[in-house]
Amino acid sequence: MSTPLHTEPDRAARQGEREFLLDVRTQDMEVNMGPQHPATHGVMRILVRADGEVCTGAQPHLGYLHRCAEKIGENVEWLQYLPYTDRYDYLAAMNNNLGYSMAVEKLMGIEIPRRALMIRTICAELNRIGSHLIAFGTYGLDIGAFTPFLYMFREREWMMALFEKICGARLTYSYIRIGGVFNDAPPGWLSEVERFCDVFEEKWQEYVDLLMVNHIFVQRTANIGVIPPAMALDFGLTGPMLRGSGIDFDLRRDMPYELYAEIWKAGAFQIPLGKGERGQLGDCWDRSYVRVMEMIESIKIVRWCLGAIEPGPVIADIPKTLRVPNGEAYVGIENPRGELGHYVVSDGGKVAIRCRVRGPSFTNLAVLEELMPGALIADAIAIIGSTDIVVGETDR
Amino acid sequence: MDFRGILDRLKTARVPGLLGADEPRDPNPADKKDKGRRGDPFVWVEPRELPAFLERCRDDERLRFELLVDLSAVDPSKDDPNLWIVVQLLSLAHRHRLTVKCTLPKAEARLPSSVPVYRAAQWHERECGEMFGITFEGHPDPRNILLPEDWVGHPLRKDYVFPDEYHGISCK
Repeated sequence: MSTPLHTEPDRAARQGEREFLLDVRTQDMEVNMGPQHPATHGVMRILVRADGEVCTGAQPHLGYLHRCAEKIGENVEWLQYLPYTDRYDYLAAMNNNLGYSMAVEKLMGIEIPRRALMIRTICAELNRIGSHLIAFGTYGLDIGAFTPFLYMFREREWMMALFEKICGARLTYSYIRIGGVFNDAPPGWLSEVERFCDVFEEKWQEYVDLLMVNHIFVQRTANIGVIPPAMALDFGLTGPMLRGSGIDFDLRRDMPYELYAEIWKAGAFQIPLGKGERGQLGDCWDRSYVRVMEMIESIKIVRWCLGAIEPGPVIADIPKTLRVPNGEAYVGIENPRGELGHYVVSDGGKVAIRCRVRGPSFTNLAVLEELMPGALIADAIAIIGSTDIVVGETDR
Repeated sequence: MDFRGILDRLKTARVPGLLGADEPRDPNPADKKDKGRRGDPFVWVEPRELPAFLERCRDDERLRFELLVDLSAVDPSKDDPNLWIVVQLLSLAHRHRLTVKCTLPKAEARLPSSVPVYRAAQWHERECGEMFGITFEGHPDPRNILLPEDWVGHPLRKDYVFPDEYHGISCK
């Protein structure tokens, strides 16, 4: 069956509707969204100023989940800080472990065994799939599609079971360690990952048919919350938010780390971009599109690693108490939500001088103040959902 | 471009505020106190000139740092009279990074805001301001962002004293 397109008359009708609503002037009203609103996926408050059905301003209030992780980083030893990294972006804990480990490894100059790099890449990409499943599933949930969310949780459950088998935890893994990974994959784990890939590819097509090109979903997201490329750069957006605006940049390809240069050279993956297929370039639909397409690219990366992995050691020889040499390093990696940066400063001791975390959600959320004015209240939910924030990371 | 190339370009283009560069080096075997330094190279910049410096970095055709990735501060130690401001820049077109650092006296921690150059700096400066007690002159919205409005002290300063209670809630 051919998919209905978002057609021109539709757009004109929407425009007319908005003008009508703007025509009816009422007194400005301030509405509190949150701190416990289902669409904020955590504890965040947005103060929306509304004129009738149209937002005239929005002010996010953060800090409800603030734990000052950066201060904790200055009070615990290098290895002890690793579990705290799980807890800022708890939907992509593997990627957080990876970013922090890479920053410390850069200062220490440790060489990572090849098998460890392979397992790290597999875990990071599987976690990216899991994170995008949540982002996409709950996005549907926010704007009224309940069923796809449950299907996506089914696949995410399998992904979490895979992680449980390899490290014992389902959400906060602390599996990727400074110097490699905690332990080798158990027997049969790699072949189960391969089975997961096979099944997921099939199911992925279902999500696309069920939600991505669904007429109601397209109507709720196309032409909503448009971020032009210049604005995306000005606000320092990264990850799917940046690529949704059509800017072709992915750290995995453009500033490759670990094995990604090799994987890119082998032609194993591509970088999906927003093209404005269903509306204007950089609208909410484009951002969702990038996330959905990235899932299948991650599967390709996992498959490449499964084909190239060889037996060997999985962790470099490092002492229990690390003494990191004097210096400072910044490492940015491509997290599911954008660039996760760790800036660590050491004076040669057992504890960091500074452990700065640059969370992508925090920076990406700042664009909300700019996007909300002029949007309908109902679209505000669609805009917040499309930024795909994790409040644990905005507040850290 | 690598760091040396960026540094040459900063010098030939006479970008305002450039004070010098710091590159990683090996420890000096003759001097036991010299531990050397590892990690990333960076440039030192005059804090009053920081927005002008960033603007030139953004607009120069050879540098083109379109993204301000991060802006934060560091309190190196309790005894140090200075704070550092650390800015991470990223060029999508040329695929290079640059770390920009300024020193700022703790007693007079003020510098002009970079928001007119990169709007990405807006929330980072708010966070930096509340955590380190730095004033960004000309910031459009200098409220606290993560901390409550009535929080006492600047938590990421090394001389920060942990509070005993907050509005009757024990913090011990």
